[in-house]
Amino acid sequence: MPPALDIHGKVNALRIFFRKTGRPPTFREAMELFGYKSIASVQFALKRLEKLGYLQKGASGRIAFTNRISGDIRLLGSVSAGFPSPAEEETVDLLNLTDFLVRRREATYILKVDGDSMIDALIGPGDLLIVERGRTPKNGDIVVAAVDGDWTVKYFEKNGRSVRLVPANKKYNPIEPNQSLEIGGIVRAVIRKYGA
Amino acid sequence: MNPSAPIMLESFPQAILHFDGDAFFTSVEQSLHPRYRNKPVVTGAERGIIACASYEAKKLGIKRGVALHEARRICPALIVLPSDYETYSMMSKRMFEIVRRWTPIVEEHSIDEGFADLTGMRRFHRCSYEQMGRDIQAAIGAELGLTVSIGISLSKGLAKLCSKFRKPNGFTAVRGRHIHLFLQRHALKEVWGFGKNTVAFLEKFGLRTAYDFIMQPEKWVAKNLTQTQVEIWHELRGKSIHPVSTEEKTDYATVSKCKTFTAPSADFDFVWAKLVRNLESAFIKLRRHRLKAKQLLVALRFRDYQQAGMEAELNRATSVPAEAIPLLREMFETLFKPGEEYRATMVSLGKISTDRREQLDLFEDRVRIEKLEASARAIDKIAEEFGKHKLTQGSALFLQRHPTTARDEQPWRKTHLLPGETTRQRINLPMFETR
Repeated sequence: MPPALDIHGKVNALRIFFRKTGRPPTFREAMELFGYKSIASVQFALKRLEKLGYLQKGASGRIAFTNRISGDIRLLGSVSAGFPSPAEEETVDLLNLTDFLVRRREATYILKVDGDSMIDALIGPGDLLIVERGRTPKNGDIVVAAVDGDWTVKYFEKNGRSVRLVPANKKYNPIEPNQSLEIGGIVRAVIRKYGA
Repeated sequence: MNPSAPIMLESFPQAILHFDGDAFFTSVEQSLHPRYRNKPVVTGAERGIIACASYEAKKLGIKRGVALHEARRICPALIVLPSDYETYSMMSKRMFEIVRRWTPIVEEHSIDEGFADLTGMRRFHRCSYEQMGRDIQAAIGAELGLTVSIGISLSKGLAKLCSKFRKPNGFTAVRGRHIHLFLQRHALKEVWGFGKNTVAFLEKFGLRTAYDFIMQPEKWVAKNLTQTQVEIWHELRGKSIHPVSTEEKTDYATVSKCKTFTAPSADFDFVWAKLVRNLESAFIKLRRHRLKAKQLLVALRFRDYQQAGMEAELNRATSVPAEAIPLLREMFETLFKPGEEYRATMVSLGKISTDRREQLDLFEDRVRIEKLEASARAIDKIAEEFGKHKLTQGSALFLQRHPTTARDEQPWRKTHLLPGETTRQRINLPMFETR
């Protein structure tokens, strides 16, 4: 008996492909996607998917998705019949905590605070900083920076050409870099966990 | 033939970019731990052999594959770090994410290199292909603190040659009308896909450079070489044969697991237990990708880095260690020499195919096989909940005979857990250290 055509798996593969690339696959790509070695077998699978309403023939015979794959209509959790659950519909657009704290994930790092020089900005030893790298800081941003080779967390203050790093603790003085200043990143959030 | 005559007049009928992280693992360490910057750093402390050497270390002659004691002899101040693959993988994913800002067609070739198809993106980004390459390089530098070497040309084969041309932090773009000049500067052995034998063969015909090769008529190439090499011929002539593939890599040729143990051991049961552990790990990876294997390769490494190995075929392709263990045992008993000390075992699974339900052989014990498969699924579920290798073959008990010592060092991240993290699960952001 030949293995049954795994429609569910193929639909999933197509959805993932669409999410990644934003377009339907070519025949060749569909062949790879489904793990087939011949165009004929792809065509067979595609015909079935067309019959089931997942695909349609696009311009010049190319593969085109119906909204069952590209999801112009928002796909809400599976419901056997009737209307989607209202809770499901309402929660689709919620942010998770990471996305709330992190603006650009690829450029974001975590840093454990050492020292109390920012205590008046409510950043204490052991706190975790969410730091974004690769951006130019603005006046008043809290930055992670290396001054003449030493790493520190301070307010960034720019006045014309000169830069000062200002602590939030009267015990310490502002620092003006003599030789070098490297901005490691801009602090976007502070996390302090209790009772862990 | 006239070496100054271009082989084509166009500049970029298509534009393929290859990016290659420079000394990737150590560069990640230097990026996240600034105190390691500008110092000779290597990774691989946990296995006794260098996995990656920073450019500072390379300058001293310390390279990938060198034994650690040898490297320490060359440079006593060498910083030796255990590999932190979790963090390297996170940074690798970020690198690919950044490249995807320029084009959705990005291929993850390996953890530290990839291809991107930029064709047709000039109007959209309002800049040249070269500028896109520069921008990608700058973004990876600014956001990840890593340097990459970039090559842009008309095919994957050419782009790869370009990115190798200048390193580290290199940038090389070769347009169609300059291909002939570029290839004259490359010996045959530098061509991606040419092994020793191919090079030796071509040299018999008086060919020296990649340029000599592409100036051979297609007929000659087709007659004397394999299909793969004909494809290389086309790629080097600026015709893109291999498309940039966005699919996740699941068609592994082989899946290998190799673990070095701290103190070399002559203990039969212990070495066997290590080997079984590797087998289990290899099959876990196989099952994760819904694959099965029909071939089994075993290698044991002696104290002096000599190796002994053998391969054999299983009765049927499987994804379950228990099915391979009788054969593994037979091979191990043949290979193991009493009195010899061993420092590593390796298992490699080959002849891999996708794991689909299929007809069972008439003589196979169907019930037994289904039971084994069910047990493997249960093991995977338990691993999800409680961690890898919590439920294992009984031989694992022998692993405790030799407690791990200094060389089984943990990466920094695993010894600097945040509140709420465990040795198994850490937050999905890389940690920056400013000590």
